[in-house]
Amino acid sequence: MNVDILHKIQETDFFKELSEEALAAVAAKATVCKYHAGDAMMRKGDPADSFFVILNGHLKIVTTDAKGDEIIINKVGPGESIGELALVDQRPRSAGVVALDEVEALELTKDAFFELLNKRLDVSLGILRGFSNRLRFSTTYIEKVIDWSQKTAEGDYSFLEQTQPLNNRAGTDDDKAAQLLSAFYSMVSKVKAREETLKQELERLSFEIDQERRKKEFDEITGSEFYAKLKEQAKALRQKRASDQ
Amino acid sequence: MAGKIVSIHSFRGGTGKSNTTANLASQVAMTGKRVGVVDTDIQSPGIHVLFGLDEHKMGKTLNDYLHGKATIREVGFPVGENTGEGEGRTQLAGKNLFLFPSSIKGKEISQILHEGIDFNKLNEGLQTAITEFNLDYLFIDTHPGLNEETLLSIATSDILIIILRPDNQDLQGTAVTVDVARSLDVPNLFLMVNKALPKYNFAEIKKDIEEQFQAPVTSVLPLSFDMAENASKDLFSLRYPDHEWSKALKNIVPYILNAK
Repeated sequence: MNVDILHKIQETDFFKELSEEALAAVAAKATVCKYHAGDAMMRKGDPADSFFVILNGHLKIVTTDAKGDEIIINKVGPGESIGELALVDQRPRSAGVVALDEVEALELTKDAFFELLNKRLDVSLGILRGFSNRLRFSTTYIEKVIDWSQKTAEGDYSFLEQTQPLNNRAGTDDDKAAQLLSAFYSMVSKVKAREETLKQELERLSFEIDQERRKKEFDEITGSEFYAKLKEQAKALRQKRASDQ
Repeated sequence: MAGKIVSIHSFRGGTGKSNTTANLASQVAMTGKRVGVVDTDIQSPGIHVLFGLDEHKMGKTLNDYLHGKATIREVGFPVGENTGEGEGRTQLAGKNLFLFPSSIKGKEISQILHEGIDFNKLNEGLQTAITEFNLDYLFIDTHPGLNEETLLSIATSDILIIILRPDNQDLQGTAVTVDVARSLDVPNLFLMVNKALPKYNFAEIKKDIEEQFQAPVTSVLPLSFDMAENASKDLFSLRYPDHEWSKALKNIVPYILNAK
């Protein structure tokens, strides 16, 4: 296993808490697998017997709808890990994973993973730390979303002004919670904008002019002798001004 | 080039006409133009207050001129030399802005209302004001409605700005005024919407009113409590140049400067 791969493993959220030495122990148990575009890394319903850390390339996570058509749930790329939760909870694969281009991934089998957990306390602790960081991170964001949801339900959008707009960050798994928050923020902003447009449309003034009355009043004003004289004077005045210039 | 007469009119009272006239005239004066403001609202004069003029400071008035007791030269009050107090007003120091006030003395008001205005004399006075003070623009603050003195000011104006609030009653009256202005061949006719509630869509109001009258709406100004609170004490748009109301008011300036 070369140094380059070791660094890539260290960059994953899953293993970033591990020391160099613990990392080397993991790497020793892992193998590098390659996939071409369209190859399935895992299928929905397969037993969860290993997990992967993507080194290069991209994959789509897919499931099927009621009609059997493919639905892409997510896309993953370098540094992201796939399938680690299934190793811990021992449930079959909940979705399929298919390579979108040339993919290089590090595979750690269930047996190798459990052996590491059993023999190496430092590796176990590192992995646990990774899990708990993620959980803590997600919890903060979820609490925020709960708070915003309650405010939105009450029509209080003040948090939009009090919060810096969040960029829709794509990236590591940890950022999924941040993405949820970002998507929620953008959703509420749009809801608020739509609500305001609707309000303006409802309150749009309807202007009506009584044309009959308009004509009657105009005739009354312009029908007088005074007006006829004024109109003549105004005409003369404008002509004089035009000729003066 | 001869100076232009700019009449500011509204069909009903309370549209903020005097305030708009004073602020607009000041903004035009700030561009370096020579500007006059005539208060032809003889029944209920008020614009002098905005320029910091009170009973004690007021010298000869339009009433004196109309009664042959003073010349137009004597009536013109140089605001730029007597800005008085007020953060906004003092910015007019050194500017060429002249106010031709109406008398605020009850006796003189009732006298002129009783005798009526000599229209030829008033018209002559407006022309004299332009030539004697070498004015680029002479603003006329009229009495609301379409009485004879208002018709006269519309008839003599090169630019007519009709102020209305976005409601049907103002719109109805404005329609008649627009028709009259067209019948009198006013060369430049603009509409200005004032006191629009901020909850409305201003762009829609502008579009709707332009469609109704086939005349440009220079701007839609918001109903402003800041404005109401400060208005008569100082020239609001000079004092609070970044306020929404001031920004919308300043939009009108190029319409005036570019009018042919």
